[in-house]
Amino acid sequence: MRKLILRHNQAWASLKKKPGFILTVLLTMGITLGALLCVVTLNYLLLVEPLPYPEQDRLFVAEHKLIGPEKETKAIAFTYPGLVHLYKSKEAFEKASIMAYSQDVIVSHPSQPLVNTAYVTPELHQILASPMAMGRMFEASEAMDTNNPVAMLSYNTWKKEFSGSADILEQKINLSGISYRIIGVLAENFVEAELDGIGRETQVWMPWDYNQTGERGRQSFGNISGTLNFLGQLKEGVSQSQAQQLLSPLVSDRWQEGVIEMDFFKGWSVVMLVTPVKEVMLGDSESIAVMLLAGVMGLVLIACANISNLFMARTAEKQRQMAIQAAIGATKKHLFQAMLAETGLLMFMSIILALVLAQIGFFVMQEHFEQILPRVNELSFNPITFGSAVLVTVVFALFFAKLSTWMVDYRSLNTTLQSSGKGSGLQVSKKVRQVLIASQVALATVLVFANFSLLKDAVKTINAPIGFTTTNISTLVLNFASTDFPTQEERLPIMAEIKEKLEALPQVESISQSPSPLDGWGVRALTDVVSKERYTPFLNGVSHTYFGMIKQPLVQGDNFTLVDRQDRNNVMIVNQSFAKQLKADGDVIGMKISVGGPDPFKIIGIVKDIAIPNATPTGSDNADAGVPRVYTPNGLGSQRFMVKVKPGMSVSREQLGKLLSDVDSRYSVYSFDAADDILTKSLFVEITTAVTTAVLASLVFLLAGIGLYGILSYGTQLRRFELGARMAIGATRKHLVSMIISDNTKAVLIGFVGSVVLFALAYIGLSEYIQPFLNWQVLPMIVATIVLIMLVTLFACYWPLRQYINKPAIFSLRGSD
Amino acid sequence: MTVPIIKVQQLDKIFSTDDMLTHALQGIELEIQQGEYISISGPSGCGKSTLLSIMGLLDIPTSGKLYFEGQDVSQLSIEEAAEIRNQKIGFIFQQFNLIDELSVFDNIALPLRYAKRPLRLNIINDKVDYCLNLVGMTSMGQRKPTQLSGGQQQRVAIARALVAEPSILLVDEPTGNLDSRNSDQIMETLELLNMQGTTLCVVTHDIRYAEMAKRKIYLLDGQILGQTSFNDECIP
Ligand SMILES: Nc1ncnc2c1ncn2[C@@H]1O[C@H](COP(=O)(O)OP(=O)(O)OP(=O)(O)O)[C@@H](O)[C@H]1O
Ligand SMILES: [Mg+2]
Repeated sequence: MRKLILRHNQAWASLKKKPGFILTVLLTMGITLGALLCVVTLNYLLLVEPLPYPEQDRLFVAEHKLIGPEKETKAIAFTYPGLVHLYKSKEAFEKASIMAYSQDVIVSHPSQPLVNTAYVTPELHQILASPMAMGRMFEASEAMDTNNPVAMLSYNTWKKEFSGSADILEQKINLSGISYRIIGVLAENFVEAELDGIGRETQVWMPWDYNQTGERGRQSFGNISGTLNFLGQLKEGVSQSQAQQLLSPLVSDRWQEGVIEMDFFKGWSVVMLVTPVKEVMLGDSESIAVMLLAGVMGLVLIACANISNLFMARTAEKQRQMAIQAAIGATKKHLFQAMLAETGLLMFMSIILALVLAQIGFFVMQEHFEQILPRVNELSFNPITFGSAVLVTVVFALFFAKLSTWMVDYRSLNTTLQSSGKGSGLQVSKKVRQVLIASQVALATVLVFANFSLLKDAVKTINAPIGFTTTNISTLVLNFASTDFPTQEERLPIMAEIKEKLEALPQVESISQSPSPLDGWGVRALTDVVSKERYTPFLNGVSHTYFGMIKQPLVQGDNFTLVDRQDRNNVMIVNQSFAKQLKADGDVIGMKISVGGPDPFKIIGIVKDIAIPNATPTGSDNADAGVPRVYTPNGLGSQRFMVKVKPGMSVSREQLGKLLSDVDSRYSVYSFDAADDILTKSLFVEITTAVTTAVLASLVFLLAGIGLYGILSYGTQLRRFELGARMAIGATRKHLVSMIISDNTKAVLIGFVGSVVLFALAYIGLSEYIQPFLNWQVLPMIVATIVLIMLVTLFACYWPLRQYINKPAIFSLRGSD
Repeated sequence: MTVPIIKVQQLDKIFSTDDMLTHALQGIELEIQQGEYISISGPSGCGKSTLLSIMGLLDIPTSGKLYFEGQDVSQLSIEEAAEIRNQKIGFIFQQFNLIDELSVFDNIALPLRYAKRPLRLNIINDKVDYCLNLVGMTSMGQRKPTQLSGGQQQRVAIARALVAEPSILLVDEPTGNLDSRNSDQIMETLELLNMQGTTLCVVTHDIRYAEMAKRKIYLLDGQILGQTSFNDECIP
């Protein structure tokens, strides 16, 4: 033990003289291993760790799959009566629960916040065994058809919106005109089964009866909704496929009965999908996690190669010292132990840094990846993290120590001493060094280029023109907080007054009583009256001032008029993509389109396409195909407004809330968001990708740079005596710098050629992925990559040389310092 | 009296390491005239190599003055020192310090290639051939240093030191790595060069070789203990 401490003290004493070396190893290994630990923990959590629910392997999600006449999947979503039917049948499941997700405003709250809501049957929290911070969960008294208005809050909502008030259980909240008594607050460590998108936290839970589906929708088998969900615990011994077979006829028969009158669904059918809840929650995040792991492994490999180079360089530097130790009787094992003490110490320090960085990584992921990766909130150190930390520390320490001593030719160490340190004892031959430089350059070039390309792609999506303006435009959606809905006639004067008051606000430039291009879209089944062809474009009802405000150009025909809206005229404007679908030449003005009602709509205008980020056309996987959209004039009772403020000005949610309640106390703000913010949110994945690849690219570049530097400086160190000899006979700095550069240039050039070969190989293997990248645009990136690598090379040539050429020649001629 | 090639005045050299100061040279006074043959000897660690390195502008003194052909060179920049070394000083080391990747010919040509005013190729060839001939290595020009014996390597080193026609040859333990037959040959070569006019300053601890010099300097603990000229007795 004492020996061990002594050995480590010696190791530290010898390392202390090389702060640059320590720092390089520490940063390289610390950063990459930090990333590794972070991603390993994430992978464990997503791939291995069970969900924190009892019987979690028996928990399944059931889904309706609607199949069209050509056996194509039309939708995976329930119809309201279909879901209730399945729930009531109690088939295959021991316990089952149904949920409807929505959003609503807590109007009784002073700041009237918009919250995520879920309407659920009591079984849900029983199945999940949800821990409570306070109060109780839903019980039989809140089961279906009990109409008992109570609510549960999420822990965060309780803390944030109700400042953690202790008497929360005596309070009531009002949503959509119904007053709910709060009966419980979920615990902080409750993990929601996020079925409706990753990162969507339900803030207020209410009983199923209060879900926002209207009376007609509750009956209609044609009402397909993506917000309805079914989660249950399968009966003991019933398998996933058995459940599927059991349930499919049950739902299919009932559905066929329900839609027998509806022409549109002719030839459609329904099957049940039963999926483990874990699979639904994880979505395709498993592949993201595995890809992250692969990426980080790549980083670790580069880092490892780099550090190997550095250790080789260090051994070269220490040759004399080792020779002396060997001469006085140190065996190879002694040298290995001394080396191991050093590498062990370095790896220990690196792993401490790595653990700190991993913790920061968890935090960053929780802050920023909540919308991309499920379960990130559960990320924390666990035995797997620590186990892998210990493992990599030991493995790398042994590996580097072994590598360092392996390159020492023990027998010729004595010669080293005799020849007064010309370094014949251990030299990685010039050829090997050249190969190392070339491969480093090749690797770095490929990686930097690949990262550049990824980055460019993400940035391209972010900067892609959307085809309309969002500047200074916000969307205001009204909330009606009462159960006695006004009729259309009652609503007209109220909306007219609200519009007038909004226009009178000093900050406001103009108002359009219309949804924005970023919301209000619904897929509608349309039929061409003449050909009877069916289409499913996106449809939105908009005002006559809509296209003008967002500057979406009309390319043919006419815009809607105020009269069209007042008289509810059956006119329609289509975008170019839909025009092309209707007619190959796109000349569709005057065509008649049925939207299901008795009177068809006449197409009066064609507008340019818009490109809402990440909106893919229905029934097509091709993201480049334009999204077909149609517009109809909305009524004057519409409760959505686009508010365009004057440059540099803004309107607050509170101010609008007051304006609305002054007009009619039943109205409040549902949502009021700047269009730019909505756009940014919809680009979240791209922005995260861009940031992640930018970070990765700089990390790769940094590591590649360190690697190149390591191997080049190693080469220079080996030439120390030669440099000294040249200086003694009068070589100036310029001579030496240009000599080192020209000696390394060949290897660097070979490296560039090597990267071309790597790309060629990649192209043969992955041409379909690479093909789209190959255009003249890659040229500047190639140039940028090469210039960057060249600059690093030049730096790596000069910097290690500096310690020799800026000191008296004797420094280089002498062996030790 | 002509200007001495090297003049050393009150020269001190102190090495400072982490935990101690080594006073390697103390108050050295020395002049070397054109055509002289001087030996410096003394026990190990007395400062011989240090003195030679400073006189050869490989190292800088801690204090004191150093004149080279009358020019004060004690505080030269690294680049200026390199130029003087290239033009005026030839070095020969114990461990030869040849460059393994270069042929014998290229090793010898190297100082000419580093010259401030580059020479024409045929002139370089002539000079290298002349020096090869001088050390009796005419047939070995295309070999690599690693293919030569120690004695042959040292002769190449001598040729390289001579090729730029320096004012002085500074030689540190030229025979340290050689057997006695080779050592004798090297020392004879050096003596011959001196007789042809080359100024020589040889560090050696071999008393036989020290005796060959016309002026002998003894160093002890960084100080000049005594000098003897050709016919003089030791001055204590
Ligand atoms: N770079 C250095 N750092 C510290 N001390 C040094 C350094 N170089 C030389 N010394 C010290 O200076 C003194 C003189 O060293 P020098 O090499 O000149 O001796 P020397 O007379 O040439 O010995 P030898 O006959 O063994 O070659 C020695 O005590 C040595 O320890
Ligand atoms: Mg010496």
